[in-house]
Amino acid sequence: MSTDSAAVEGRIVASGLTKVFGQIKAVDGLSFTVEPGSVTGFLGPNGAGKTTTLRMILGLAAATSGTGTISGVTYAQLPHPGRTVGAVLEATSFHPGRSARNHLRVFCAAAGLPDKRADEVLEWVGLTQAATYSVRGFSLGMRQRLALATALLGNPRVLLLDEPANGLDPEGIAWLRGLLRHFADVDGRTVLVSSHVLSEVEQTVDRVVIIAKGRLIYEGRLADLEGASAGVVVRSPTLDQLRAALAPLHVTITSRLDGSVAVVGATPEAIGRAAWEARVELHELRAGSSSLEETFLRLTADPTGTLEASA
Amino acid sequence: MIALLRSEWRKVTTIKLGWGMLLGAMALAALGVVAQIASNGTPGTGVPPLSDPETQKSIAASASSAYLFSVVVGIILITTEFRHFTSRPTFLLEPRRGLVIAAKAVITAGVGLLYGIACVVVSLAITVPWLSAKGVHVDWVANGLVVVMVGALFVVAIFAVVGLGVGVLFRNQVAAVISALTYLFVVEPLVAIVPVVREGYRYLPGGAAAALTGAARVQTTLLPNWQGGLLLLGWGLLFAFLGWILTVSRDIP
Ligand SMILES: Nc1ncnc2c1ncn2[C@@H]1O[C@H](COP(=O)(O)OP(=O)(O)O)[C@@H](O)[C@H]1O
Ligand SMILES: [Mg+2]
Repeated sequence: MSTDSAAVEGRIVASGLTKVFGQIKAVDGLSFTVEPGSVTGFLGPNGAGKTTTLRMILGLAAATSGTGTISGVTYAQLPHPGRTVGAVLEATSFHPGRSARNHLRVFCAAAGLPDKRADEVLEWVGLTQAATYSVRGFSLGMRQRLALATALLGNPRVLLLDEPANGLDPEGIAWLRGLLRHFADVDGRTVLVSSHVLSEVEQTVDRVVIIAKGRLIYEGRLADLEGASAGVVVRSPTLDQLRAALAPLHVTITSRLDGSVAVVGATPEAIGRAAWEARVELHELRAGSSSLEETFLRLTADPTGTLEASA
Repeated sequence: MIALLRSEWRKVTTIKLGWGMLLGAMALAALGVVAQIASNGTPGTGVPPLSDPETQKSIAASASSAYLFSVVVGIILITTEFRHFTSRPTFLLEPRRGLVIAAKAVITAGVGLLYGIACVVVSLAITVPWLSAKGVHVDWVANGLVVVMVGALFVVAIFAVVGLGVGVLFRNQVAAVISALTYLFVVEPLVAIVPVVREGYRYLPGGAAAALTGAARVQTTLLPNWQGGLLLLGWGLLFAFLGWILTVSRDIP
């Protein structure tokens, strides 16, 4: 990627990000790009390395190698980080004894913002009534709203939200969806939102970055993931021979619970021909019809099954 | 920097941290004063009478006992941030971590100073009427009592900053508090009495504080008053430096 294209205002670029904790490679050579004006889902199962990646991009954790940039510079180089980037990290950052308003005012002071800004963002997230209550009594959903309010204090053009839907009821998720869509579509902001549950963000995001065990699995449009990954279901009594026969096609083969395999990367016609030419007995050959959620689970359960976006 | 100072000060004033600790510190200071005045004149103790400047200094130094509380407050102010992750938004708004820790150190020292002031006020409120009722004349300036009380304020403020450094080091609140109090209650008093090692006591934080206020009666010689003050300042700066170096070099949790 050239330096020019990386320096787009509001673009987030991870390139070769790696984080090693002792023996664990939590993030492993991760590269992806998040564009302004879109909502990008950052997906992966628990422990995949999402939070660690965000912490590196935000300069809270030092990368073992690789870089993360926002608008072409590292977080620490941003001239006004609080007014450029708003971030919420998984574990919500509140003192339980502080009221919601006081919590926000602490950070208004640090950001050099007037105190009335605290009340504005409380209204945006629907917490005006609870402004003077201690965070101790807040539900998880209220905490998520307050965390979002904190991120919005500086009216940032880039939002990084770690599992913001966690603990929200369906109504809250719908509200969040509307808010994030508004940020991206109307304001043209960059929105990166992580989740370990695809269905939480499925209807909100334009693009997805899927990781598992710290590695990139898929980056691209959600719609293309559906098309690219449904795969072909193949059943054969001699799976080893089948694998050998399909090797020249450079496909990804994963086992299914019923003993068949899912082959990704080739059409049923191509698979049938290869099997026939190698004299491999087939008992079933059909285009798969997995749901998006199934695809997500399968992909992230087997990180070797890397897919390239067709777009 | 002003913005950070305001933010850090708000962190202190918007939680109910202080009152219990502050009352404890004031009670300990009051106890020190009361015990010394009430017991004075008991035969066989060898303590000079209340009219003696040394006795008066020792009474005036009672407020410095608040350092036991200010060190804990210093620890709590910083470890609470690690515990509840409130340091995260702070470092997101100001990625220059050195500035954040500097603001934290200033506010922590300020809180320690307020503890010291409260304790000096309490000890004065007891000492002045009581001694005048006993007909003891006190010359605050000539007898060096003002110097002792300013020294006590300094001690209490510096120990709050020591607590900050210890808190950054341990991050875990309980571990930090237990370590600091074990050191102050067990390790230093032992060093002060064990032969040979006790020669080194005067250079430790507690020894430097004792030199500044003359609060401790120990079996080893202390540094001259002003050297103790300078050394204590050095200890405060060392722990602030420890907090700084660890904050800039480690990941923010
Ligand atoms: N501070 C840390 N020290 C050691 N291991 C860590 C630390 N933070 C995260 N990890 C490990 O790194 C991996 C990725 O964690 P995380 O980034 O939190 O994943 P996710 O947010 O996708 O659930 C996990 O195996 C986790 O245990
Ligand atoms: Mg996480």
